[in-house]
Amino acid sequence: MEFVFLFEQVVNGLVLGGYYLLIALGLSLIFSVGGVVNLAHGAFYALGAYAAVEIRDRLGFGPAVVLSPVAVGLLGIAFERFLLRRFYRADPILSLLVTFGLAMVTEQVIRMVWGAAPIAVTMPPELKGPVMVGDLLFSRYRLLLLAIVALMLACIWVLLNKTSFGSVVRAGVQKPDMVAALGIRLQPYMTSIVVLGVAMAALGGALFAPITTVHPAMGAEIMTVAFVVVVIGGLGSFWGVVAAAMLVGVVRGLTIHFLPAAGEASMYILMFLVLLLRPRGLLGERIEKFE
Amino acid sequence: MNPLLAKSRPLWIGALALVALPIVLPAIGLTVNIATVVVVLSISALGLNLLVGYTGLTSFGHGAWFGLGAYAAAIAQRSWFPGEMALPLLFSLIFVAAASAVIGALILRRRGVYFALLTLALSALGYTVAFRWTEVTGGEDGLGGLQRGTLGPINFDDPIAFYTLTAVLGLGVLYFMLRVERSPFGHVLTAIRENQLRATFQGYNVDRYKLVAFIISAVVTGFGGALSVFLHYIVTAEAISVPLSGAFLAMVVIGGMHNILGPALGVVFYIIFREFLSIWTANWLLWFGLIFIGFIIFSPEGLVGIWGEIKRRVRPPVQDSAAMSKRKIYEGLPLPEFLRPESRIGTVLEVSHVSKHFGGIRAVNDVSLTVDAGEIHALIGPNGAGKTTTFNLISGMFGPNSGTIRLKGASVAGLPAHRISGRGLARSFQITSLFNGLSIYENLRLSVQATHAGRFNIWRDVDGYAHVHTETAALMKFLGLEGIEEIKAGDLSYGGQRLVDLGIALALKPQVLLLDEPLAGLAAAERERVCRLVRTIAANVPVLMVEHDIDRILAFSSRVTVMNQGEVLMTGVPDAVRKDKRVQEVYTGSGTPAVVGRAAGGAGPRPIVLEVDKVNTFYGKSHILNDVELNVREGEIVALLGRNGAGKSTLLKTLAGLVPARSGSIRFDGRELVGLPAPDIARLGIGYVPQGRGLFAGMSVRENLALGRLARKTDGTTGTVWSEERIFEMFPVLKARLNTPADYMSGGEQQMLAVARALSGNVRLLLLDEPFEGLAPAVIEDLFKVFDQLRRELPILIVEHNLDLVLALADRVFALERGAVFHEGGSEKLFTNLDYRKEILWL
Repeated sequence: MEFVFLFEQVVNGLVLGGYYLLIALGLSLIFSVGGVVNLAHGAFYALGAYAAVEIRDRLGFGPAVVLSPVAVGLLGIAFERFLLRRFYRADPILSLLVTFGLAMVTEQVIRMVWGAAPIAVTMPPELKGPVMVGDLLFSRYRLLLLAIVALMLACIWVLLNKTSFGSVVRAGVQKPDMVAALGIRLQPYMTSIVVLGVAMAALGGALFAPITTVHPAMGAEIMTVAFVVVVIGGLGSFWGVVAAAMLVGVVRGLTIHFLPAAGEASMYILMFLVLLLRPRGLLGERIEKFE
Repeated sequence: MNPLLAKSRPLWIGALALVALPIVLPAIGLTVNIATVVVVLSISALGLNLLVGYTGLTSFGHGAWFGLGAYAAAIAQRSWFPGEMALPLLFSLIFVAAASAVIGALILRRRGVYFALLTLALSALGYTVAFRWTEVTGGEDGLGGLQRGTLGPINFDDPIAFYTLTAVLGLGVLYFMLRVERSPFGHVLTAIRENQLRATFQGYNVDRYKLVAFIISAVVTGFGGALSVFLHYIVTAEAISVPLSGAFLAMVVIGGMHNILGPALGVVFYIIFREFLSIWTANWLLWFGLIFIGFIIFSPEGLVGIWGEIKRRVRPPVQDSAAMSKRKIYEGLPLPEFLRPESRIGTVLEVSHVSKHFGGIRAVNDVSLTVDAGEIHALIGPNGAGKTTTFNLISGMFGPNSGTIRLKGASVAGLPAHRISGRGLARSFQITSLFNGLSIYENLRLSVQATHAGRFNIWRDVDGYAHVHTETAALMKFLGLEGIEEIKAGDLSYGGQRLVDLGIALALKPQVLLLDEPLAGLAAAERERVCRLVRTIAANVPVLMVEHDIDRILAFSSRVTVMNQGEVLMTGVPDAVRKDKRVQEVYTGSGTPAVVGRAAGGAGPRPIVLEVDKVNTFYGKSHILNDVELNVREGEIVALLGRNGAGKSTLLKTLAGLVPARSGSIRFDGRELVGLPAPDIARLGIGYVPQGRGLFAGMSVRENLALGRLARKTDGTTGTVWSEERIFEMFPVLKARLNTPADYMSGGEQQMLAVARALSGNVRLLLLDEPFEGLAPAVIEDLFKVFDQLRRELPILIVEHNLDLVLALADRVFALERGAVFHEGGSEKLFTNLDYRKEILWL
């Protein structure tokens, strides 16, 4: 019984980790390609959730989950074109400040448009309810989420490692000058990565809207978690971020269960511990610009 | 203005503002309490700015200290000192100091972005603890029921009385911060902001300075928090939140972070903005956020900076070239007395059997050398010989893996850089490393101060150290920088910056001075003068210098150590070095190449493919290419010769579009290349193989080749077809290795791959930078044959330091010196006639 219960909590923690992963992975991608830390990433996540609310009211939950990332992705093009692009080669602190300001502005825009009150999103009835796997009891929707996140992760991995798009991106992270000397213009790839990153955040917002709540400060809240994940995993490391997201999810899930008040504090303590032992995170490499 | 008045001007302005606030704010419809809020937040913003504006550490989490100070004061009053205000405030100060010392020691291990993210997390952690730990913090409700207390007949519940109290305390904080920032300690903080590495090499223990700055900053910010508790009679978790941290940062940025009063101005702006805009709209933060973004993009110096910008428009500052001309140069000055070491005999620096490897690469192997009093000891050798690494080992940039380094008999190997510097070893940098935002005078004064006992003082004004100032002035005069003291180092011409770099090292009163290419990039007249300076210095302080101007260095050094491939080749007097066969071989080759194979001389001139006309290229202020003229014809291999730093690689990069040419023309196949971005140039048919090959690690041969073909055509529209089949015909080894990651292959295979990748795309001209570097003779032979074959397909421009090889391969050569072509012609005679080669290329 004790073991079964613990196992359920671990799976719940993994779901939580998958949720963080959708946000943190995009953040880490934008960071490794453009060298900017996007503090406005949470804002795109929140926009994704609100867009999903709007679309769901008109077209239903399914289309909302698909269309909301598309809409936010389009917004991402403008974001990259008019703001982020100025800061690729600048002092990273400047991009931190600017995206911080943007996050503040977006949160206010959300308050203006949708109001300050939280919006509850109900999930479609067919996705509700528990499901038994052997002796274990899980929420159907949460299992579905875990599957979607796993699928997303696989897609991103294939995109980065098995396509020419991915090889340009990886090459660009290593030696942007050499990529240019082979006749490849990196700019469109940069834009694509930003779009991909914010669309993933929006997908997170849309998918998790039914089990969190949709409210204006949700972006700021997820942001700090995403940063904890990225810092633990190591800035710019794909598997580092995956491992860290799962670790944070499980640690937090277990703490919430056994010591609810310390749920949030647990991940910060985890982060400080990791940084004490491994200053660049679990799998982080030394990147001079960010030291 | 009276200097005393000028110095205390921020204090007067602050005092006037504090008097005006409770009069002006009620006049525009706000309350006295709002004025108190302004003062309280200003105190905290002032504290934050010590870190952000002065030390250059961006903290996104100072709300943590504000909140911690607030909770500490509230808990202290409720639990131990009911009705009291002074003791809780004091307790709060001590508590924040202790907490920030512990946390600072942890998160200051990281810099830059990591530091910013850690502070953000700190604030978030603080918030969740305050919100959840109900027993101690009151959780959601916070801690209320606090009292302001009385002082004799004064009851602080009266808004005016409480305002007066905070105003007096605020003025006290301003005075304190002013003292700190004007102290030697405060000046070191600015140095850390401008250039932490250089401050370390001046002998400052930057970690300690940063920690103290962190603590002071936290305590002052926390003090504001503690006062806010009594202002509002309550503390809630909002006091420790991330948004508040962000608001503090915004206030500092909007006000102006490089001015002591800037943050206070930002607070006034924030409060007035909030109070008035929130009447009209609940979303005032939206507009505030937009203004914040606007300031970062358009006026990073904040409101204060706008004023400066207007002043600049009205009265433009002096240009740097004009600035340099204002200086007074005194020829033949002796080295100032205070710079002369006490004893001037014997061996000063003794390096024995020092080795250093990075991963598997032995950068420096078993190097020994000594520097004696009174000598100029030159360290020469080709690229990659390990000269700069040797400097880094001696000066403590990193420790050696084995071997000993003794300075005046005491071992310094493996000590941190600041301690080695403190023992009397100073160095300059190959790429000038200055405090660009500070005046020349301040650059040097910081160095003089580093050897002074008062360098840790946080209270005394720097102007109070008369000794430091007379020494700095004497040094400015000696270097020939007198008259331009107040010009910012970053505004100087390159030559001026070199002098300041030298000065920063010299001002440390060293026992031995390490100079890394002090003459690089200097104009001829300036070179002469710096040479004379170095001679004067060396008569008292021995000098170890790396320099590529070999003629000059052999002419004026007492001993020379020649390094090659990480090892010492020989040490001797200049004449012995000049005559040494091995040294000549290192620089000009032996004349007996491993392979020979040249195309038969062409019949008549072939058409020109590439024509470079008067091209100039700069890196920042450093003029690298100087009116370069060169051409490459169909079917030939052209070699670029020249010593280290002559500009060969830069020329290739300029051709490939990776470094923009500032002027001149590059015509390729009838198209002008200057101004085109690198990808466009590559698509026109120029293939580039950089030094070190530029392969993408972790990616297979197939992927590397695919990237070559991704954006460039391979249909042969430019006349040459480089299909996959032809590539594999040329480089059969690649076909067998298609799925091997590039970084797992041997050096020769990697070079083949790099060339194959560069060719994959209608390439009509190949640029090769050091293609034979680090390869075994047999591999070199293979590669040589490949290039020899390629000549029939397309012209090649090659940079290679192995003269025997490259002269055997090339049809024509261009030789560069200091960015200009000084010799051009056929390679035949240079190849066969060693005496002619020495005449042209050696000394």
